[in-house]
Amino acid sequence: MNAEDNRASQPSAADSASVAGSADAEPELDPAEKKRRDARAARDARDRRLVRRLKQGDERAFQELVHTYQDRIFGLVYRMIGNRQEAEDIAQEVFISVYRGIANYRGEGRFYTWLYRIASNTTKNRLKYLKGRNFHRADDIDESPAAHTKGKDGGPVVALQSVVHGPEATVQGNRLEQAIQREIANLEPEHRLLIVLRDIQGHTYAEILAITGLQQGTLKSRLHRARLALKVRLEPYLE
Amino acid sequence: MAADSNAERMTAYLDDALEGDDASSFEAWLEDSPDAKKEVEDLQRLLSVVRELPDVEAPPDFYDKVAKKIRRSRGPDPNGMNWSLVSMPFQVLSVIIIMVIAATYLMLELDRDQARIEKDPSAAKAQEKAERARDAAQRKGLE
Repeated sequence: MNAEDNRASQPSAADSASVAGSADAEPELDPAEKKRRDARAARDARDRRLVRRLKQGDERAFQELVHTYQDRIFGLVYRMIGNRQEAEDIAQEVFISVYRGIANYRGEGRFYTWLYRIASNTTKNRLKYLKGRNFHRADDIDESPAAHTKGKDGGPVVALQSVVHGPEATVQGNRLEQAIQREIANLEPEHRLLIVLRDIQGHTYAEILAITGLQQGTLKSRLHRARLALKVRLEPYLE
Repeated sequence: MAADSNAERMTAYLDDALEGDDASSFEAWLEDSPDAKKEVEDLQRLLSVVRELPDVEAPPDFYDKVAKKIRRSRGPDPNGMNWSLVSMPFQVLSVIIIMVIAATYLMLELDRDQARIEKDPSAAKAQEKAERARDAAQRKGLE
């Protein structure tokens, strides 16, 4: 585990703030928001149990943690890097870092954000390494992405058909998805991370602040710049 | 929500994170700023497409590969799990099989060498010659 990952093991102020924020609930919550908070509390409780078992040397707890988070971590890395094989390798490295560093995790912040911090740091480090080796992630983007994706119900999905209409919807939808994937992977690493966390995986600002350690103003202005950069790159496809 | 720049306000607006008065005042500002309004519309279009990207699934054997890498890695296990014990029976079994094969091969080779010596014609001739010499010596001794 590198120094950056070690820092990731300490809960950030933003993480603590978000946790504290959730404890000081507003007097009135709409049912959807209440449901989300309940789900998050249940997830955190489950994670705490798994982490405790893992620290005691329970191999099954580690297996459960990997199965719980493998798709989200793999998705984050894949969307950032654009190469399936490389993404798999990095995602594996993330879970190995978790396994080896779990003793350093004091459980003060949420496990979920700790895991994401390790994933984002590992991916950014690999991107630096690959940049030095003149790595081109485009090799992998031509493969059919629909073959590796799933719908919200877990079933297969044909990507972006709802956005592209007409008889060639499938072909155009896949082409658009490939273009988006390619252009995201051409952004600066920090911009990729924010686009993937916020716009693809739908994390809240509080979660992104906890993962990245940014200030709220910085997050918003940086996210704005990331979106503008992606918009410029994707303009030919969106006209 | 306090927003101290147009970029931050625009981001918050696009994410439905501007509350009450902030949202309406931002919309009013957009009406007076055609460029900003166009930018918001473009970004809304971009986000509608990006947010449609499907979830990505990890390979089905993902955990097996992670576990395999952990087993292969060297160094003490900080969690007290002895991964090496899991693979030990296979290692021991492999060594035993290799030793059995090697011993069998050596034994077969030795048998083959002995057979070759026995079937050597020059050896047979030499043996016959020696027997004749011995018989002759015995006869001479009797006479």
